[in-house]
Amino acid sequence: MEEKDQLSKNEKLLKTKGRMGTFLKLYLTVLAIVIITETIGTQTFSVGPGQVVLLPMLFAVVIAILITPNLLGKVFGFLKGIVSMEEVKLASPMVMLSLLPLGVKYGTLVGPNIVQVVKAGPAFLLQELGNLGTIFIALPLALWLGMGREAVGATASIAREPTLGVIGERYGISSPEGTGVLGTYLTGTVFGTIFFGLLGALSVNTGLHPYALAMACGMGSGSMMTAASGSLAEVVPEMKDTILAYAATSNMLTGVTGLYSVIFLGLPLVNFLYDKLSPHIGKKRREKYEAERGNNDE
Amino acid sequence: MMSNLSIEHSLNQLKVLIVVAIMILIGQRIGYGIPIMDAIPGIIIVVALAMFALIIKESFPNIKFPAFAYASLAALLLSMPFMPTSEWFLRYTNEVSFLGTTTPILAFAGLSVGNKIQKLKNLSWKVFIVAIAVFIGTFFGSAIVSHIILKLQGII
Repeated sequence: MEEKDQLSKNEKLLKTKGRMGTFLKLYLTVLAIVIITETIGTQTFSVGPGQVVLLPMLFAVVIAILITPNLLGKVFGFLKGIVSMEEVKLASPMVMLSLLPLGVKYGTLVGPNIVQVVKAGPAFLLQELGNLGTIFIALPLALWLGMGREAVGATASIAREPTLGVIGERYGISSPEGTGVLGTYLTGTVFGTIFFGLLGALSVNTGLHPYALAMACGMGSGSMMTAASGSLAEVVPEMKDTILAYAATSNMLTGVTGLYSVIFLGLPLVNFLYDKLSPHIGKKRREKYEAERGNNDE
Repeated sequence: MMSNLSIEHSLNQLKVLIVVAIMILIGQRIGYGIPIMDAIPGIIIVVALAMFALIIKESFPNIKFPAFAYASLAALLLSMPFMPTSEWFLRYTNEVSFLGTTTPILAFAGLSVGNKIQKLKNLSWKVFIVAIAVFIGTFFGSAIVSHIILKLQGII
């Protein structure tokens, strides 16, 4: 049902009739960002043992977030005249559409390397399980910080749209679990590309093979995968084609398996560990936190 | 569920794709020095496949497969080494730069989170720390597994 609503909402948003101004302002803003960031170009510099790669797309996402109405728009009134909430709303269905040319490019990277990709099949399938690794790191941390059931939602997975759907349906999006999943989802949406754009290049220093890192880039988000694999490929250019092919394949696979992995593995595991660990980690903090929350409710 | 295909909606999507294509052409001219004229056949193929992906997705709403994946899959099939299409298909699409397609996406993505900033500010700082741990855990969790399996397979 919700999906259907979303669909018709996007359909309405894309109607140009009487909204030419909004379309024009949005397009010109994005074009200006493209021109500025491509002029800056890719910037690479060394930090300690690692290399930081700043791709034009990274500048683009930072500039775009900054000029939205609630950030720089608050400071400079004229910006709100160009990028208002109307343009922000319209940008959302545009993301899905503008991703498609990239999708085609990824296909052209995987196709010529298809034999190699198929050979690496077992690694692709098993690394999907590696995504569950996050629960063992993030859940104890969340508990130690004194989070309650929010921790279950926040750490069950990297919280892209399928997870948001599953947890929203099972616990309700305004439940503590819902607040948790929304937190990880929002943080990922706003900072994910920036974070993975930096991590992609720096991760080479861990000694893990770039091919393995490439598979890790596919986490079920097109833009995060692109930021991570793009900057990884920039550091090891001689492996560029295979890196991009592996990342794209892994992302496609996560797109298919992600939902089931959350339902059948992620959520049961995180709930099991929550019951085992919560009496031992961060108990005092959680009691204090829950008491405070109780007071606020009154 | 019936097909969600509507001609009006498809045309609106095509208009957006054409604008995005123009942005890519301008962006990659500036960033990577690819002459606009050279890239036109390639970008037309890219837009055609993107439209194809959207039409397939909306014709089969019951299959929960994103249009992005259909677009990749179609291009993948056309570019496999033993396909008769691979030579010309790759020759034209090579004129469309991979990184060049990414800047418009991220500009739209950045703008689109504009109405979530306030919500993010209302969340506790703890959520932010935990989210970063989730990112690191997911990434290295699968990288470590991949590394082990690829090593066992003798690929790396």
